Amino acid sequence: MEKTMKKLSENILDKLSLDFLRNQVLKNAYGNDDTVIAKLDPRVLIVWYLFFGLVPWFSGNVLFLAGCFILVAATTILARVAGLVLFLFLLGVFSQTGYLFLVSLLFGGNAETVIPLLVLTLKVATVSLASITVFSGLDPDRLSNGLMWFGCPEKLSFSISYAYRMLPMLMEEFQNVLLSYRLRGKAPESSGFIGKVKYLIYEVQIIVQAFYPLMLNTAKRSRTTVEALEIRGYRYAAANKKVKKMKLSSLKVTYDDMLFLAVSFLWMAIVFVVISYI
Amino acid sequence: MPRRRTESNLKPKAFYPELTYVLLEQDSELYKTAYIIVKKEKGIYVVMKREQATQSQKLMVFVLTMSLYGLATLFTELIPKFQVGIVEFSVEYFLFIPLVLGMLFDPLSAALGAATGELVFSEIMLGQFGGLGEVEKFITVTIGIYVAGRLVRNPKNQKMVGIAAMLGVIVQQFLGTMVDILKVQFAIEDFEAVEGLPEAVAVTEGFAFLNDVLFSGILFCLLPTLFLVPRLYGKIEPLLGMQPRTENTALSAIGVKTAIVCVIAFLGAIAAEFLAESGFELVSWEADWAESTGAMAVGMLIAAVAAVVVLVIMKKNAERAQMQK
Repeated sequence: MEKTMKKLSENILDKLSLDFLRNQVLKNAYGNDDTVIAKLDPRVLIVWYLFFGLVPWFSGNVLFLAGCFILVAATTILARVAGLVLFLFLLGVFSQTGYLFLVSLLFGGNAETVIPLLVLTLKVATVSLASITVFSGLDPDRLSNGLMWFGCPEKLSFSISYAYRMLPMLMEEFQNVLLSYRLRGKAPESSGFIGKVKYLIYEVQIIVQAFYPLMLNTAKRSRTTVEALEIRGYRYAAANKKVKKMKLSSLKVTYDDMLFLAVSFLWMAIVFVVISYI
Repeated sequence: MPRRRTESNLKPKAFYPELTYVLLEQDSELYKTAYIIVKKEKGIYVVMKREQATQSQKLMVFVLTMSLYGLATLFTELIPKFQVGIVEFSVEYFLFIPLVLGMLFDPLSAALGAATGELVFSEIMLGQFGGLGEVEKFITVTIGIYVAGRLVRNPKNQKMVGIAAMLGVIVQQFLGTMVDILKVQFAIEDFEAVEGLPEAVAVTEGFAFLNDVLFSGILFCLLPTLFLVPRLYGKIEPLLGMQPRTENTALSAIGVKTAIVCVIAFLGAIAAEFLAESGFELVSWEADWAESTGAMAVGMLIAAVAAVVVLVIMKKNAERAQMQK
């Protein structure tokens, strides 16, 4: 028993390594270009998200919410989202409503207490799955183009593209700096309560110290980035309507997009029919 | 002939007859814009040289803060929050990063960069985007960092750096707490049955506020900031082609205008939070509407089926046309 527990905790720690995180984030960003969702027009998806991200908050009808939930769950499967993101989603839903349910069971809750909780859970789950579908399912460049079309500040769409490109590098660098700091010092024993506290303090100290070289390196990199951007006339282009038009000319609404909206609409219509005749 | 810039804190001559400024030199579009300021102080004309960050340098600061704070919040998103009783140990572990950068560089760019970084890296990239609710966090982080950055006129002054770091955290946490308490106060219909609930919420929220400020504020904001600011000062600025901040080059103290803008932004944050999570009882409206219009629902269904069929046929036709081409 002890052995399996040890193995399990080792396994979990393994999973939470920086490499794993990097791979998952990369996979999420670039690993699924060929899914049905990724091929859709970003503008259509954003409009779709506006519906499923807002409307569930205003409804208390369990059937309606369940209908929405089934639809967004299906689109999430279609988007083939990375495991880590789904895990975070489950964790988030649980931490918001799941433990409330457990507590209410402890205090003698019954079916009546379950229904309001179910409504809340469905709301939270639907909204987050819709955002996962749109923001994780889409290619970052297409997503930022879509946001730009709706008049989001240029800085935001730039940030999205930049973040996806830079994150793997930043993570690797952070890991290297952290490891080099670890190599230089001797970690305190982590046995016993005091030892654990000392070890925690040591870890926090190392992380804070690691940001010193990281800040300097990133400063250099951001200067290079901005210089490269300025050479291409970034700030001028950001404010120029012609450039924006050229950038957005790759966006095109096809029959697939219309079909996606129509099928979503059809599903919701079926849900409405079911609601009104039950 | 370089274009003459008028920065916001340098008003045209007409408004301040005693304040004259002349564009002294401009190395390039990217770096260094220097002004001469002639100011009359107690009857004596004082000549000051003031250097201003260019737009490109502001963009650099934005990118720098965004990537670093974004990376850090990505980790915090993955560290589970744990609760001991009513004390929640969920801290903004890495707020020291934008605080340090806001004190060394242009505060507004650093503040906006931090808020955007958090939004993009930990919310959008991980699919945790909460819609309008995120606006509140965005604005409170921006205000907190901005205020802290503006307060520090000389980063060598350790005492001021410490005070500003704590104040930044306090402002950010306080605004968040205010929004939470107001949320309960206004959505009170849901809690009518419970007597004294608003008071209870105020107490727990106040406790969480104190906990966050004293625990995470000191451990994760004050100490790292005091450690990093003197080390980075004078080293990191040349990397962006800037002069280190001194008493003379710092932006002037926070004026009434800044305070008003902060208040308006905070009101915006409250409004967004309400829209996102309000207890507006639209539930009953929804139910009535769904029940009374069975015919309409059927109509919707038919329209939807028709739309799907028509679209499929149109798609097939388009594909055939392309094949023939």
